[in-house]
Amino acid sequence: SSLDVPFPSSREALIALRSLSPDKEPRKGGISKEITVKDNTLSRWSADEARILRVSVNSFMDHLLLVLETMEMFSLPVSQ
Amino acid sequence: MTIVIGFEGSANKIGVGIIKDGEVLSNPRRTYITPPGQGFMPSDTARHHRAVILTILKEALDEAGLKPQDIDCVAYTKGPGMGAPLVTVALVARTVAQLWDKPLLGVNHCIGHIEMGRLITKAHNPTVLYVSGGNTQVIAYSERRYRIFGETIDIAVGNCLDRFARVIKISNDPSPGYNIEQMAKKGTQYVELPYTVKGMDVSFSGILSYIEETLFSMLVEITERAMAHCGSQEVLIVGGVGCNLRLQEMMGVMCEERGAKLFSTDERFCIDNGAMIAQAGWEMFRSGQVTELEDSWITQRFRTDEVEVTWRA
Repeated sequence: SSLDVPFPSSREALIALRSLSPDKEPRKGGISKEITVKDNTLSRWSADEARILRVSVNSFMDHLLLVLETMEMFSLPVSQ
Repeated sequence: MTIVIGFEGSANKIGVGIIKDGEVLSNPRRTYITPPGQGFMPSDTARHHRAVILTILKEALDEAGLKPQDIDCVAYTKGPGMGAPLVTVALVARTVAQLWDKPLLGVNHCIGHIEMGRLITKAHNPTVLYVSGGNTQVIAYSERRYRIFGETIDIAVGNCLDRFARVIKISNDPSPGYNIEQMAKKGTQYVELPYTVKGMDVSFSGILSYIEETLFSMLVEITERAMAHCGSQEVLIVGGVGCNLRLQEMMGVMCEERGAKLFSTDERFCIDNGAMIAQAGWEMFRSGQVTELEDSWITQRFRTDEVEVTWRA
């Protein structure tokens, strides 16, 4: 299954990708998560079993939301 | 001039601190306090940290009177600690490092305590007793590593006190250890057996004195042994339990007998805080270290002696 999140620009999508990617999933084995960016869309791919999908997606959404809030509050004014 | 911002949130405290060449510009912090009888669980602690971290970051910048452009490096706790809270803090550190186009630096939490203690007390080359809710180690510097001379073989001293506080439902506000210390002061006699029943009532303050005295005696003994081994004449106590005045007093007696000097800090710097990560980050950054984003994963286990100390001779 995949979850797509549109960003205002590819720069922001890439920042989110690099912030969200380094940490491994806490569960050992059985989970395959991958985050990719194409243009300005960040996608989370996984082949989770239904019973762990909810927990895994919830945690991803918590992390994503924190990254988005951080961008909203602490982005520098864009220089033209 | 080098300015480093540090993010800490490996347990139930969350803090952001800013250091400019040995000067603490700001160091705001919040504590996740649980009801009596309850410890802090990773996912609840992470939720607390997520809710407050951006407010604390803003406070740290405002209090320091700085703009993001003024920062030279973004330091954060890489480990050791609880996974979910560590991830929360790392996510924000990674994101602002990219938004502000600054280098990132993953810091060992224990090294943060040691470097903050050295900065505040000006201790030159101390034997370090690091005592907190998650760690109990006697450490001395030798040849580019903080070597662990002794450590707990099971639970940390602070964890022992916290667990006892939980069993007898002592308040976690401001911290179980602080409340034990206050109650233990009221204990008038040292009980040989921790069993105090008076009619239908029980008295715990005597037991608390007993527990504190016993734990702290053990710590003083291993610290003294490490000092003798290293020929050290300085002791530095760091970590959350380090602000316990009874521990400082007992360590002080031992130091006086040996003609050694004791260094300790108060709760602003003993207890987990952002400035300690900024300070260790400052030393690491000035000696040329940075952490690439792809290597910035957090780790629940991260021993003090894994870090090469590139900033000391």
